[in-house]
Amino acid sequence: MSSTTSIPEDSNTELSYEPGLFGAILSFLIPGLGQISQGRIAKGLLFFLCINIFFYYGQFLGQWKNVYLPRAKNLPVMELKPMGFSIRIPNCLSYRMQYGAQFWVGASAWPAIYQWSKYDEDEDCPADPILGKYQRTPPETELNLLQNRSDRAWDLGWVYTVIAGLLNIMVIYDAFAGPVPAQKNKDTRNKG
Amino acid sequence: MNEFIFLSAGYYWHLPILIVMVSLVYSATRHDDWPTIALEAYRWGTRMISFLGMIGLFLYISTLIQ
Repeated sequence: MSSTTSIPEDSNTELSYEPGLFGAILSFLIPGLGQISQGRIAKGLLFFLCINIFFYYGQFLGQWKNVYLPRAKNLPVMELKPMGFSIRIPNCLSYRMQYGAQFWVGASAWPAIYQWSKYDEDEDCPADPILGKYQRTPPETELNLLQNRSDRAWDLGWVYTVIAGLLNIMVIYDAFAGPVPAQKNKDTRNKG
Repeated sequence: MNEFIFLSAGYYWHLPILIVMVSLVYSATRHDDWPTIALEAYRWGTRMISFLGMIGLFLYISTLIQ
């Protein structure tokens, strides 16, 4: 198929469902749930399966140790200084920025917040009775081993989980406002 | 076959899931129509494969030049 193949316009420009904030919140909690609540069941299931498979596959590649929030309490605080303002970034994010994207996958990434709020990686804390050590910050020595002795799958794994989170932002937008119509894009390009 | 030694690096085999999932989700956020979603997903899939393939080809040729 050549690259000039035109994408046909969607046959129904009038939406037969009502996108909105409620759907967006549901899609944030569980990918695709917002679309399912709007009656777009097949599409919701597609989002649910794709994003969850992608996210958990990424965790599997990282030996289930690449989604976490560290306390990093002994590390220096990072500050951004745009236009003279000083903005302190919480250590948990400045030393694990990947979680800023993983967060958007919804409830699947919440165990990391729970583990961060309850356990300190510098102390030898016991496993949680329900979650165990799932999405808890691994000890530094273990992280070094994972990154140095594996076949780069650990790094590839966190990239997958990050992409899954970013894809869900588009899913949330779809639930909030419906799909971005192709025709509108074409018009914008022609005007430009 | 030394030319294909890069395929022995296991992480390349994880790429298809990336291409399929990203193409499908991206296309489904742009359209509601299933045939259109499938067509757009196919187009994005081929674009990504071409892009990654070009990088792979460039790296392969650069190793031959050395």
